Amino acid sequence: MFRAHMSVTRIWQLIEKRMMSCISVHGKLPGLQRAVGEVRRKSSFRQSPLLTATPVRALIDEQISIKGRFLSQNYPVTVCAQMHSEEGDLWEAFAHYTTNASSSINLTSDHSVGGSYVGCEPMGLFWALEPALGSREGLRLRKRNVETPYMVNISLLEGHTSPSEGQRTELAAVTTERWYMAPGVRRIEIRQNNIVGTLFLPPGPGPFPAMLDLWGMVGGLLEYRSALFASRGFASLSVAYMGHKDLPGPQHIMSVGDSYFKSAFQLLQDHCQVDADRIGVIGLSYGVVPTLRIATTIGFKPSCLICINGAVGSPLLDEDGKSKMFESDQKHWEFDDRGYVSFRNVSLPDNLPPESKRKVENITCPLMYIVGEDDLCTASTENADVIEEALRSAGKSHQFTRLSYPGAGHLIEPPYTPCSRASLWKTKPEKLFTLWGGHPAPHAAAQEDAWKRILEFMETHLRR
Amino acid sequence: MDRKQCCVKLSVQPSRGLMDEKFIVLVQNALPGSQLTIRALHQCEDGHSWEAFGHYTADTTGTIDVSEDPSIRGTYSGVEQMGLLWSLRPIPGSKPGLRMRKKNIQTPMEVTISVYQGHQTEGFADLVPLSGVVVERWYMAPGVRRIPVTEGGLTATLFLPSGPGPFPGLLDLWGGGGQLVEYRAALLASHGFASMAIDYLTSKFTMETGKMVDNQYFETAYRVLQQHPQVCGSKIAMIGLSFGTSMTLKMAIYSEVIKLSAAVCISGSHVQPVEGSVEEIMGFFQKNAGKTRFNEKNEAIWRDLLLPIPTDPSLKADVGRLQCPLLLVVGEDDQNWPAQESALDIKEMMARAGNSHLLTVLSYPNAGHLIEPPYTPHARSSTFKTVEIQEKVMCLWGGQTVEHSRAQEDAWKKILVFLRENLYGGRNPTSFSHL
Repeated sequence: MFRAHMSVTRIWQLIEKRMMSCISVHGKLPGLQRAVGEVRRKSSFRQSPLLTATPVRALIDEQISIKGRFLSQNYPVTVCAQMHSEEGDLWEAFAHYTTNASSSINLTSDHSVGGSYVGCEPMGLFWALEPALGSREGLRLRKRNVETPYMVNISLLEGHTSPSEGQRTELAAVTTERWYMAPGVRRIEIRQNNIVGTLFLPPGPGPFPAMLDLWGMVGGLLEYRSALFASRGFASLSVAYMGHKDLPGPQHIMSVGDSYFKSAFQLLQDHCQVDADRIGVIGLSYGVVPTLRIATTIGFKPSCLICINGAVGSPLLDEDGKSKMFESDQKHWEFDDRGYVSFRNVSLPDNLPPESKRKVENITCPLMYIVGEDDLCTASTENADVIEEALRSAGKSHQFTRLSYPGAGHLIEPPYTPCSRASLWKTKPEKLFTLWGGHPAPHAAAQEDAWKRILEFMETHLRR
Repeated sequence: MDRKQCCVKLSVQPSRGLMDEKFIVLVQNALPGSQLTIRALHQCEDGHSWEAFGHYTADTTGTIDVSEDPSIRGTYSGVEQMGLLWSLRPIPGSKPGLRMRKKNIQTPMEVTISVYQGHQTEGFADLVPLSGVVVERWYMAPGVRRIPVTEGGLTATLFLPSGPGPFPGLLDLWGGGGQLVEYRAALLASHGFASMAIDYLTSKFTMETGKMVDNQYFETAYRVLQQHPQVCGSKIAMIGLSFGTSMTLKMAIYSEVIKLSAAVCISGSHVQPVEGSVEEIMGFFQKNAGKTRFNEKNEAIWRDLLLPIPTDPSLKADVGRLQCPLLLVVGEDDQNWPAQESALDIKEMMARAGNSHLLTVLSYPNAGHLIEPPYTPHARSSTFKTVEIQEKVMCLWGGQTVEHSRAQEDAWKKILVFLRENLYGGRNPTSFSHL
C-alpha cells in the first residue's frame, strides 16, 4: 500500500488520533467518529446520500450487503470500514467505486478500482482490514471476548481518497455489528478434570454433535471458532494447552500431554448434551499434532478430523506428548531480511523425529487436510503429502480430502477476517516476529471457501 | 429417540434482524417425508406469552424451507416466509384483548423458534423439541441514537441514524391512546430518517396542567427538528396513524410554520372542525360518541362517529390546499375510523382542486385499523383507553389476520419507498401510482 510522505504535524495528528482511539474500545461509537479524523461536514442545505448494510447485525461468517443510494451519476466515492480491536488498535480498509447511471453503488456487484482491494469483493471491507497508519508492528486481529460484537463503522467518502488523507468529506455512514456468537448460544467456562477450556452449546435441548477445537503454539484460549461452530449447531470445546495462567508449569512450554487432550475429548463424550458418537476434532497449526494423536490412540474414535496447516509429528515432544521448549532447537529457523522468522523447515517431514510421527494409516475416520500454499510457518504441503500417502498405502484414500489454496498462508481462520502475514511472536529477550505467509486476496478467498467446506464436512460426518 | 431425528438441524438467517427484515427458516436433515411442527414462542415485556406454529412435511432431501414450502395448517397456512411472526397469538389461557407493543426499543424482541416431531397443536410446553434457535428482532439498528427531547415543553424522542447527516426529518404521531410510542420512529431512523416520536395527548405539560396542547406544540416539534444540525431542514415529513392523521393533515394544510416535503396518513380521516384546536377536535369526536355501536362480542365500533362524511367544508381539512405529496393508507375493514370513506372523499376534493397528482392511496381489503410495521401480530380487537374516556373498553379494530399482515408488509415497503423518493430523491412532487 502506498505510504505518503508525512509532515510532522500529520504524525502528531495520527498519534493524537490513536491516543483518542485507544480510550474507546468497541461499542463506543463517538471514539470511532473522532477517529475519522478531519472531516468536512456537508451543509444542512442538502441531505446526505443513504448508505445501508444488510444485515446490520451479522455473524462473522455471514455476508453483509452494502449499498449507497441517492448519490450523483458517475460519481467517484470511497467506501471505508473502521473498527477498534479489543487492544484499542484502529483497523481500516477502503475501496474506490464510481456510481452508475442510477446514482448508486452496490458492493455485492460493483468493482473496486483501487484501495485495500480491487475487483468485485462483497466482503472486501472486512477481510482487507489493516492496522491504521502509525500502528504498532506485527498486529493480529483476534477477538477474546466473543460475547460482544465487533462494531465496524462503514462510511461513504466523497471522491477517491483514503483514510490517511487529510481533508475528506464524509457523506454517510452506517454501523454494523459482527458477532461470533448467535443469540441463545451458551458459553460455559470449563475448569474441571484439569482441563482449561470453554464449551459452547447451541440453543435447544440437544444432544448435539460436537467438536474439540485446538489452536496453535501461540497459546492461550481462543474461543471464536468454537463460538461460531455453536452458532451453526455444533457443541464445541476449545481448550488451552499452553500459555494460560490456569495451566500447570511455565507458560512458554507445553506442560500437558496426551492425557490432557484425551480428557478433553472424554469430557465431550460424557456431556449430557453431546452425542457421544458424533464428535470431531479440528486442529490448526500445532493443534494438528494432538488431533492426530487422539485419532491414532486406541479407545478414541472421533467421527472426523480437520487439520489445518499442521504437521504429522513434532521435534518437541517427549513420550507423553509433553513438549520441550520450542526455542531450544533453532537450527531450522530461517530469517528474512527484516529479521522475521519462518519456522517452516522445522516441520519438513525429513526434519521431524521419526518416533514423533503418528501412524496416520491407523486413522479410521474421514480426514480433511487444509493447505495454505504460502504457509511460511509449517511445511503444510509436504505434511499433507505424507498423510495422503500413508492413507493411500493403507487403502484409505476415500477417507482423505485435501483442500489446497494458492497464496494462502498459515492462519486459515473463519472468513471475512484479515490475513496476518506476520505478527509479533514474543518480546523477550528481544522482539521476534514470525512469518505466517499469505497474501490478502487469495488468503481471504481461501478462508471463505475453507470455512464453507469445513461446515459441510462437519454436517456430513457429524449429523448424517 | 430416533437417532436420525436427533440430528435435525434448524437454522434462521439472519439470527439478528431488524423488525421489518425477512428471515429464512430452514430445517435440514429430517427424515424425508416426516411430519414436523415449527413453532415460535415469544414472551413480551408485560410477561404474556405468544406462540405461532405451522405443520410441515419434510421433502425428499429431508429439508423444509419456510420461505418456499407450505404450512399445511397451524396459526398460518400456505407458503408464508414470515408467518411464524405475524401469526403469533397469545397462548391458550391468556387474558383476552392483548396487543403486542414494545415499549423498550433499545432491547430486541427475542423469539425462540423450535421444531417438533409430528404435527402438534398444543401442549408444546410439555414436549421436547428436536432443535431450537433464538432469534433477535430489533427496532433500532446499531449506531442509531435515541435522544429524549424536552425542549420547548415537548415530550418527544428523537432517533438519529448513524452517520454525519444531514438526514431528512420525520415527525411521528400515534393516535387517541396517547403515550410516547417510539418503535416506528426507531425503525424509521434505522432506515435513514431522523425521526421524532411525539406525545401530544399525554405530554408532561398536559399531565401537569390538565390542558391539551395547541398547534404551537407541533410547530415547536417541527422547529426543534428543523434546527437540529444533523437534520436537513428542507426535507421534513410527517407520519400519523389514526388521530395522528388528523393532526398531520391539520399541520400540513394550515400551519404557517410547518412546511412538509411529504405526509403519510394511516387509518385516519380529514373530517375535523377546520379551525379547531386539538381539544376541540377531540371534543368533536366525543360529541358523536352516541354513534358507537357494539358487536355481538360487545366490542366497540367507533367508525360511525365521523359518518356520514360531511359536506360542510368547515368540518373537513381542506386537502385541496395541500402542497406536498400525500400517501393515504387505508384498511377496508377498519372498524375504528372510516378511513375508506374518508379516502374517497379526499380523492374527490383533491380532484376538484386540481392537486390529485399529489395523492396516492393504498387500500387493503380485509385489513383493519392498526396498520403498523410488518411481522408483528395483528390485533382484531384489544382493550383500549383513549385520553378522553376513563375506563378501558374492548375496541374492535377490524381486519382478518392474513390479509392484515400482508397489508402491513406491503404498506410498509411502499411507505419507505415514498419517504425515500420524496426525502432523499429530491424529485418534483408527484403521485406514486407505480407503488
